[in-house]
Amino acid sequence: MNRIDHLLAALLWLAGILVVAGITHIAAIFALPKLAAKDVFARVSELAKPGQAPILPLALTGKSFISFPDPAMVQSICPFNLSEGGLRLHADVEPDRFLSLSFRTSAGDVFYSMSDLAAQQGRIDVVVLTPAQLEVVEADDDEDNPSQDLRLIAPEAKGFVIISALAAYQGERTAAEERVKSVACTVEQIAPE
Amino acid sequence: MSLGTAAVRKSPLWTPAIMLGKYLAASCLGIFLGLVITFIEIEHGKGFTAIEAGPWTGWPRSEASEIDPYTRAILAYSGKISLSESEAMSFVAQGSSDGAAFDPDCDYTIKGEVPPARYWTLSLLSPAGALIGNMTDRRGFTSSEVLRASDGRFEITLSRHARPGNWLPLGSASKFILVLRLYDNELGATEGTLDAAHMPAIAKGRCR
Repeated sequence: MNRIDHLLAALLWLAGILVVAGITHIAAIFALPKLAAKDVFARVSELAKPGQAPILPLALTGKSFISFPDPAMVQSICPFNLSEGGLRLHADVEPDRFLSLSFRTSAGDVFYSMSDLAAQQGRIDVVVLTPAQLEVVEADDDEDNPSQDLRLIAPEAKGFVIISALAAYQGERTAAEERVKSVACTVEQIAPE
Repeated sequence: MSLGTAAVRKSPLWTPAIMLGKYLAASCLGIFLGLVITFIEIEHGKGFTAIEAGPWTGWPRSEASEIDPYTRAILAYSGKISLSESEAMSFVAQGSSDGAAFDPDCDYTIKGEVPPARYWTLSLLSPAGALIGNMTDRRGFTSSEVLRASDGRFEITLSRHARPGNWLPLGSASKFILVLRLYDNELGATEGTLDAAHMPAIAKGRCR
């Protein structure tokens, strides 16, 4: 082998190494969110069962459930498992008091979110369903008296809802806790036909 | 000696073994290189969706499916995923407007415009996203509670020592970041045009 052959061989090896590096890089970028999300639902399940919505403590030490928390927010978490039935959320909204609901998959990705501005006549009524449950519910609809519920299709059976209320003043924290607690989060049995 | 080497070279069994070794070594090197690039990218990169305005870096409110894979990986790795996807648009500042990183021994003043939103909150957190303890209960300000001048402007002072007006105590922080959140904001349509002039400026004051 002369010098050019050696050079070509080295270049070929280098190209091979770079291709492997590129594939690894792309695979790692795509795998990372999935790896990070893996234990989210397990942690949610430790905090609450479907139909419960405990307030998340603002942890000063250690890792709180939500990283980068907003200290002005009071938050509660309501997990759901649609294989046990739909999830119904009801909130009575006070005017000009910030309240928000964010609907998340088991990995913690948001699939829907809304604030109190979306309330109708001071009420928020949301039902989270699987596509099959939606069909059952729609079959029962009364055309003359349409339901006021917002029906959401969850991308997967398990997930959770984070309910947040803003304490606009430090002294309003207790009131914000009350607002969060007043949001009802219940499992709704949906009977198949 | 030379006879032995010649025997190895000529053996038909050895050549594939050496080639296999070379392939393995090259693959390992490639994987290592790929992981190093990934690590550097997510440690220092900001992804393609991030918006920069002065000292602030923001991630527009968007659903997971709309974020590019780089941004998603960075957010998942840093734990900032909850920032990008809630009801708020969030901005993180890791240093003052002149580009220097925050030093808890210095005072900082925050003043200027905040983009229109129903509410905003400014909070002090550790770079890992935890709350920082201090003697008072103050860990941030909301747009409702911040004290304003008669023209509606405000000035927030960050310091370890008590300050008049809007004082955000740095407490025992050794490192800190600031998070500005805009709840029910109107940035959706204009997020591309956000610039430093419409975000609060962070000026470094005295250090001790």
